[in-house]
Amino acid sequence: MKFTKTIFLLFFLMSLFSESLANKDDQLIYKISKNLRCIICQGQSIYDSQSDFALSMKLLIKKKIEEGKSEQEIYEFLKEKYGEWIVYDTSLDKKTFILWGLPVLLFFLGGAIIIKKLVFRKI
Amino acid sequence: MEENKLIVNYIGFYSLVLGLFSSILIFVLSIRSYILKILDKRIFSVSFLQLFFVLTSFTSLIICFLISDFGNETVFNNSHSNKPIFYKISGTWGNHEGSLLLWLLVLTLFLFLFILKSKNELKSYRCLTLVFQQIIIIGFFLFVLITSNPFNYLFPVPLEGLGLNPILQDPALAIHPPILYLGYVGSSLIFSATLAAVIENYVSKEWAKNIKIWILISWIFLTLGIALGSIWAYYELGWGGFWFWDPVENVSLMPWICLTALLHCILVLEKRDLLKSWAVILSIGTFTLSMCGTFLVRSGILNSVHTFANDPSRGIFILSFLFFLILMSLAIFFIFFKEEKKNYHKIYFLSKEVSIIINNWFLMYFLSVVLIGTLYPIFLEVIIDHKISVGPPFYNKLIIPFLILFLIFMSFAPGVKWIRENNIKKEFKLLILFIISLLTSFFIYDLLGKKSLINTVLLSASLYLFLITIKDFFSKELLNLPQKISHLGFSMLILSIILNSILSNEITINLKVGEKFSFKNENIYFESLQNEKNKNYQAVVGIFKIEDEKKNIYQFQPELRIYDQPEIITSEADIKMSLFTDKFLVMNKIKGNEYFNVRYQIKPFMLWIWVSSLLLTVGAFLSLYRRLYEK
Repeated sequence: MKFTKTIFLLFFLMSLFSESLANKDDQLIYKISKNLRCIICQGQSIYDSQSDFALSMKLLIKKKIEEGKSEQEIYEFLKEKYGEWIVYDTSLDKKTFILWGLPVLLFFLGGAIIIKKLVFRKI
Repeated sequence: MEENKLIVNYIGFYSLVLGLFSSILIFVLSIRSYILKILDKRIFSVSFLQLFFVLTSFTSLIICFLISDFGNETVFNNSHSNKPIFYKISGTWGNHEGSLLLWLLVLTLFLFLFILKSKNELKSYRCLTLVFQQIIIIGFFLFVLITSNPFNYLFPVPLEGLGLNPILQDPALAIHPPILYLGYVGSSLIFSATLAAVIENYVSKEWAKNIKIWILISWIFLTLGIALGSIWAYYELGWGGFWFWDPVENVSLMPWICLTALLHCILVLEKRDLLKSWAVILSIGTFTLSMCGTFLVRSGILNSVHTFANDPSRGIFILSFLFFLILMSLAIFFIFFKEEKKNYHKIYFLSKEVSIIINNWFLMYFLSVVLIGTLYPIFLEVIIDHKISVGPPFYNKLIIPFLILFLIFMSFAPGVKWIRENNIKKEFKLLILFIISLLTSFFIYDLLGKKSLINTVLLSASLYLFLITIKDFFSKELLNLPQKISHLGFSMLILSIILNSILSNEITINLKVGEKFSFKNENIYFESLQNEKNKNYQAVVGIFKIEDEKKNIYQFQPELRIYDQPEIITSEADIKMSLFTDKFLVMNKIKGNEYFNVRYQIKPFMLWIWVSSLLLTVGAFLSLYRRLYEK
C-alpha cells in the first residue's frame, strides 16, 4: 500500500519535472528580484510588484547579469545605491548579530532550564 | 430622510456610551460580589444589556453602510453608493473604526457565553474573571470612543463616498477579520480566566479541563483566520505566493504559536497537575502577543500590505493600555502565584510530559525567531537610525534546521505514554519508512538537478512524519482521534509547503494579442481581449488558450479591473485548480505599448496546503465537540 503510493508519487513527480529547466538567466532574475524590496511599495518584492520602480529594477538586474556580474555583486551595487533596506536577505554583521544570535541563544537557554529542572531537581 | 439617517447615527453612538456604562456597572458589581463572596444576579442581566448595546451599535453602523449614509465619516471614507450590497456590509469591518466595534462585539459576546458556560465553577473565580474581562472591555470602549469613534458626523453631508479599497472587496477577506478576531478575543478570555485562577489558587486539573474549551475555540478560529488570509493573499494579491513573512502576517502567527504551545501544555496540567506556572505564562503571553499585534498594525509602525489609516494617538493609547495589562498580569503572577513543589519528582525522562515540554521548547524557539525578526528592524531604526529588511531568507535559515529536528521528534513523541514509557518501540517498519523517505527525497532532488543537503533532509523528515502519521491511523487501537487528525494535518501542511516550494515553476513574458509561447511542453496562446462593464468596475479580460502535452485545452481569463471608486487597477489571476497542481495565470498592462506582462505559474500541491490547514482545525473541532457533548 505504502509502496504503491510512494511509487505513484515518484512517477507523478518524474512526469512533471523531467523537462529541462527554463533559461538559467531568467531563473537568476527571479531569484534576485524575489530577494529585493520594492522600496516604493508596501511590503512587496520587486518580483511581485508591477510598479514602474520594480519594472526598471528588473531591467537593471537583467543588464547587470548580461554584463557578467554575479548575484552578490548585484546586491552590493544596490545596497550602495539604495541602502541595506532593499535586500530581504539580512546580512550578518555587527549591527545584526543580535538578530541572528538571540533566537539560537534563547533555544539553548530554554534547553538549559529544562535540563536543570528535570535533572537537578530535589527528590 | 436625512433626519432618519442622523437618528441611526445617534442610536449607534449612544448605545456605545451606554455599553461603556454597563461595563463599569458590571465591573463594580463583580468586585462587590467578590468581596461579599456572593454572586449578584444582576451581573447576568447587565451583561446581557451590555451585549445588546454593543450589538445595537454595530447594527447601526451596518445600517449606515447599507443605506450609504455618507454623513457618517466612516461610511464616507470606506464606501460608495454603487458598491455591491455584500461589500457594503463587509466594508463595516474593513476599516479601523468598524473593526474595533466588531472587536468589542466579540469581547462582550464571549464574556456573555463565559457567564453562561461557567455555572459549575467557583463563584469567586467567576467574579474575578468578569472583573479582568471588564477591564479589557472598558479599555476598548474608551479606545473606540476617544480615538476612533465610528459615528462621527460630517456637515455638510458629502454626496458620494470615497469607496473601499478594491483588493478588500473579496469574499475570503470579508470573513477573514471576524474569524481572526474570534480567535484573538478568545485569548483575552483565557487571559482573564488565568489571572482569576492565579489569585484564587485554582490553577488545577479541573481548571485546565474547563479552560481547554476556550483554548480550543480560540485556536480553531485563529487557525481558520490565518488560513483564510493566506488563501486571499494567494489569489487576490496576484503574486502567487501565500505567505510572505510580512510583519502583519507574523503578528498573527505569534499568538498562534503561543496558543499551540498552551494547547499542548494544558494537557500536562489536566492529566498530571504539572507545569502550572508555565501554563499561566503562556496564557498571558498569548493575549499579550495578540495585543502587541493590534498595536503594531494600528499604529502604522510596520511597513506592510495591511495598512489602515493611521493616527499616532491611537498607537499611544494601545501602547499604554498594553503596558498596563502586562504590568498588571506580571504583578498578579508574582504576588499570588504559588507553585506546588510536591509534584516535581514524578517526572520521568521517557514520558509524554517530557515530550510535551520538548514540543513547547521548540515552539518557543520558533516564536522567538518570528518575534525578534519582526521587532528587531523597528528597534534598530529607532535606536541607531539604520534601516534593514528581515525577509524570508532570515526565517528560512533560522527555522529550517530546527524544524527538521522538530519533525523527527514529532514523528515518535505522540506515541509515548504518560508518566513513564517502559518499552521503546523497535519496529522494523519505522526504519523502512525512514529509508523510503530518505530515498524519495534524494530522488526528487536528483531529478530536479538541484543539490541542497539541508533541503533534502528537510523533505525526508517531513515525508517521514507524514508516513508515520498515516501509519498511526491504521494501528489497531485508534486512541485520541482528534490529535491524530490534527497531527496528520500538520505533517501534510509542512510536506505540501515544501513540495510546493521546490516543485513550482514559472515564466514571465511580455506578449501582445495573437502571440504564443511554449513552456514545459505546454503551448500558451494569447487569443484576444474583451471589455466588460460591471457595476463598480470595468474589466479588460484576456483570453488565453493553453494546450498541455496531452492536447487538452484550457481557457484562462485573467482580468485587469479598473475600479471606479477609488480609482485603482487590480489584476485578477485566473487559477485552474486540480488535485495535484494549480495553474496560475496573471497579466498586467505595460504602459505605453500594446504588450502585456504575463506570468504563468505551475504550482503543485496548493490545494493540499488548504486541505491540511482545514484538517488541523477539524481535529481541534472534534476534540471540542467531545468535551462539550460527551461527558
